[in-house]
Amino acid sequence: TIGLQVSSGLQDLSLRDRGGRRRDFHDLGVNTRQAMVHVQESKTGFSGRMIKLTTNHFRLTSRPQWALYQYHVGYSPEMEARRLRSALLFQHEEHIGKTHAFDGSILFLPKKLENKVTELFSRTRNGEDVKITVTLTNELPPTSPTCLQFYNIIFRRLLKMLNLQQIGRNYYNPGDPVSIPNHRLMVWLGFTSSILQYEENIMLCADVSHKVLRGETVLDTMHSLHSQVGEERFRDACAKELIGLIVLTKYNNRTYRIDDIDWDNNPKGTFRKSDGSEMSFVEYYKKQYNIEISDWMQPVLISQMKRKRGNIQGPVALIPELCSLTGLTDRMRSDFNMMKDLAIHTRLPPEQRQREIGRLLNYIQKDDNVQKELRNWGLSFDYKSVSFTGRVVQGEKIFQSGNMFDYNPQFADWTKETRGVPLIRAVPMDSWLLIYTRRNYDVANTLLQSLFKVAPSMGIRMNKPNMIEVDDRTEAYLRVLQQRVTPDTNIVVCILSSSRKDKYDAIKKYLCTDCPIPSQCVLARTLSKPQTIMTVATKIALQMNCKMGGELWSVEIPLKQVMIVGIDCYHDTVSGKQSIAGFVASLNQTVTRWFSRCVVQSRGQELVDGIKACLQTALRNWSKWNKCLPSRIFVYRDGVGDGQLNTLVNYEVPQFLDCLKSIGTDYSPRLTVVVVKKRVGARFFAEMGGGLKNPPPGTVVDTVVTRPEWYDFFIVSQTVKNGCVAPTHYNVVYDTSQLKPDHVQRLTYKLCHMYYNWSGIIRVPAPCQYAHKLAFLVGQSIHREPNLMLSDRLYYL
Amino acid sequence: MDKNFQEEFTQIIKFKPPLYKQRHQFVKDLVEKYKPKKVADLGCADCSLLRMLKFCSCIEVLAGLDICENVMKEKMHTLSPLPVDYLQPSERSLTITLHHGSVAHKDPCMLGFDLVTCIELIEHLEEPELKKFPEVVFGFMAPSIVVISTPNSEFNPLLPGVMSYRHPDHKFEWNQAQFQSWALETARCYDYSVEFTGVGQPPTGMEKAGFCTQIGVFVRKYPQTGESVQSEKPTEAVYKTVFKAVYPSLKDEKYLQNAVISEVIFAAQIIKHRLMSKHEEYGDDPERKSKFQPSVDCFSDYLGKLVGEKNMEPFVSGNEVYIPLATIFSFPKVNRLCGTFEKLCKLIAGKVTLSSDGSAVMFNIEHENEDN
Repeated sequence: TIGLQVSSGLQDLSLRDRGGRRRDFHDLGVNTRQAMVHVQESKTGFSGRMIKLTTNHFRLTSRPQWALYQYHVGYSPEMEARRLRSALLFQHEEHIGKTHAFDGSILFLPKKLENKVTELFSRTRNGEDVKITVTLTNELPPTSPTCLQFYNIIFRRLLKMLNLQQIGRNYYNPGDPVSIPNHRLMVWLGFTSSILQYEENIMLCADVSHKVLRGETVLDTMHSLHSQVGEERFRDACAKELIGLIVLTKYNNRTYRIDDIDWDNNPKGTFRKSDGSEMSFVEYYKKQYNIEISDWMQPVLISQMKRKRGNIQGPVALIPELCSLTGLTDRMRSDFNMMKDLAIHTRLPPEQRQREIGRLLNYIQKDDNVQKELRNWGLSFDYKSVSFTGRVVQGEKIFQSGNMFDYNPQFADWTKETRGVPLIRAVPMDSWLLIYTRRNYDVANTLLQSLFKVAPSMGIRMNKPNMIEVDDRTEAYLRVLQQRVTPDTNIVVCILSSSRKDKYDAIKKYLCTDCPIPSQCVLARTLSKPQTIMTVATKIALQMNCKMGGELWSVEIPLKQVMIVGIDCYHDTVSGKQSIAGFVASLNQTVTRWFSRCVVQSRGQELVDGIKACLQTALRNWSKWNKCLPSRIFVYRDGVGDGQLNTLVNYEVPQFLDCLKSIGTDYSPRLTVVVVKKRVGARFFAEMGGGLKNPPPGTVVDTVVTRPEWYDFFIVSQTVKNGCVAPTHYNVVYDTSQLKPDHVQRLTYKLCHMYYNWSGIIRVPAPCQYAHKLAFLVGQSIHREPNLMLSDRLYYL
Repeated sequence: MDKNFQEEFTQIIKFKPPLYKQRHQFVKDLVEKYKPKKVADLGCADCSLLRMLKFCSCIEVLAGLDICENVMKEKMHTLSPLPVDYLQPSERSLTITLHHGSVAHKDPCMLGFDLVTCIELIEHLEEPELKKFPEVVFGFMAPSIVVISTPNSEFNPLLPGVMSYRHPDHKFEWNQAQFQSWALETARCYDYSVEFTGVGQPPTGMEKAGFCTQIGVFVRKYPQTGESVQSEKPTEAVYKTVFKAVYPSLKDEKYLQNAVISEVIFAAQIIKHRLMSKHEEYGDDPERKSKFQPSVDCFSDYLGKLVGEKNMEPFVSGNEVYIPLATIFSFPKVNRLCGTFEKLCKLIAGKVTLSSDGSAVMFNIEHENEDN
């Protein structure tokens, strides 16, 4: 039988992920389109104007009648060791040929052996005679899933031959690193690659990838943390900063995840070697790698290996001094200056990006060994990337209180157009609090004056707030909240003097759970520049209005009685304990009001049960608002990882259906479930004026680079200032709407206009972004489900 | 020997650590003792000995030679530098090269080595190759030290399952007398001294059988003069290079410069951070100054000492912070990397923003927020 599973040994050749379970990263074999009759013939849309696009896909070509031959290899007597099995088999290269891939039991050859069963005889070192039986089990056509996995394995071999370094799943060129000494960072340029069956061809999708490495060891980081936070908070700070990070070791080419820090251990401590003997770390590294550990007082890092490697099983101890950090921490990500410096190197504009990808293809084309390997397998690539036409759908009209606006499609932003125009629904601020520290008294007044200037034109009625001065301590803020917030309070505004997370978390936690009142935190720094204060005040006024249940603008939604749902997940990587699903569902016809809930789940529990409950309450609320149940439901599901599609289709979608059934026997709305994916390898470039540019917002791609077994499409909805725009991938996995693909695409694009924290088009449908925001707030700051009193407002914006 | 006894005996013989590890350890000990800079492994096979030797810090050139290209290629990538080698380039330089070719042929790439190892090699050579072998290794390559190991056939009866030779590819296996006479003759011929030893101790009572693996360590008697070497040697290359890895090293100006810039800016940032936090909130809060634990500190104490000296003090002027290069130069890491102050200035010229007179690193703090 042709299984999806190439035995684990062969996969070892390629996908060496961090000890986790092996996943089918490309979601091969999940065929959802076949169940949807209305898209059997065609899944393409039609509206919009044509645009010439180039992409980062390259056709894989094989010689005619190409096939891959799969053999089973047996030994008599049975041989255990994989190396021995290989050595014995390859004594017969004259029979099987020089080109082969063998994992110890399955052998792949580009040629068919003369007989179905071939018997070979070898002799071991010990003079033992062994009979090897090579049996043909399969002739694989180029499109079979096994074959596709095989291509990927071969391609990774090629990258290795090009002397690229494997880190995690991708390959990087260590020869020409970019160093950013200001932040002790180093960036390696590399490539992600995958070979898949696309609409008509098997293609290689190659993209540039950047690996951020850090020129410091874990011990260095510990030292600087110690000098920053001092003795008392040192261990906590280390845990916060380091746990979850991936490290590289000085002595082998493996990556490990830091799962814990063992403060009671140090390099003088001992561990049990595979032969059972005890040895100290100091001794071991000296003996094995000639490495002298200089600091004998450092703690030991613990990495839980999920997969058995050789004889080592269970946790692995690592010495901080010998580990280098990779990637960015949350703290670094929130460092604006650092991200700006990084972006210069990692945000490549279209032409440069395509040039870098071209460089990889060029290496492949020019390297004799690589070409020989490809030839031996009978494979080659089209070294010119695939070109085709996409469509740019028309821009949406923005409606705001009887006014209608167009936006400049180049910027995909209507901040200017809607400035000074009354909002659809402006919530008055009759009773509100403004809390600040003494140091920020002036700033608080500036904010207040500016708000009074901008609010009237938006239609927001605003009374003078209760101005309250507090000490710059968390408890002081909380005490004021406890004493001064009343049930009539519309909103609480806090001016914070630093972005210290604990203060923010405490305020949010209190006002989202114990005392459900919308709140707005503002950093004093943001208000300190006179030239931007009006812009900032406008933004804050809009944001506060949304938090109190206001509505800003709308687009035309032609479907009636429709409920739109967005779901996204947040996984707490630091403590690793919780997963949070944000769930957001529209409440009205204009899709301007939302019902928001979230599910907090501890590790090991399935999120889906909670989501089912959310859907039930969402339907109840929708019917309260509209006096009937929705006849159509659209679910935009974000936060589905690579390789999780199968679970979603087979487990989550049936749960949605179950939930709808439970509402009533005569209730059967049309349901559409769309999986939204932001992290995709595909990039599109518009061919304009002889050069390559980012495609404009509204670009839809539903041919050539989509997958034949799916009802899927790409939309480029946002614009970017630097670098390449990333298309968002939409995969309609379930659909009884009977809508044409064009209409589903258009609805999706419309929803990207509806995120109220940004007066422009965003990357995903608004409900996904709302769900993300909610899940993030709960995961980062609140850690439990917020009070349901707030659920009809966008309090988490 | 009584047959039953022998069979019972074979059950017990199992070397710990395994024999191949003992052979590798033997070479490693030799490297520790003689500190050779250039080492070649003839018959390097899957490169496992080279993989171990690359961690020996005295070695700057490592070469492998094998007649079978595929077996070398299988694991040669494990000899490539690791990501960390690029992140923290080492002091020493290291180049690893693998050649495909025969020990019966001379190639100039094998000249100038300090140590040549032939571990379990000679027994794989056919008669004509074995004949040429001494001339190639001792006559042509002529390193200071040659190590040759080969099975001792007297030990074979003690090994389980060994009928004739230990491996089907072995062309011969010598007893101790055979190996020693060959070795002594070779040594005499090329002016080497030789000492015999081995790994794999025979069991008690069987000492006469000798080591399981017999080893000859050859040391050249007279140091060679460079010129005489070159004149008589052919220079035509016959080996094919299948792999070459140059490890990043601080001896390479490019890596040194990167390392220095990184350390300079890092040091300057630390000083700046301390200066700024003194200026701002932490200054008036004595509790924030922590009691440093000696092993984790090193930096802060050190900084305390520095600030005492006058012209080395960092200062703020307007939106700019100035950190004198002299202060930065006194940081141990910077100092070690550069050696001299002039070198420091030369390496960072044009790469780090300096004050107008070039005496201090300058940071603009206008756009920085107070917290980060």
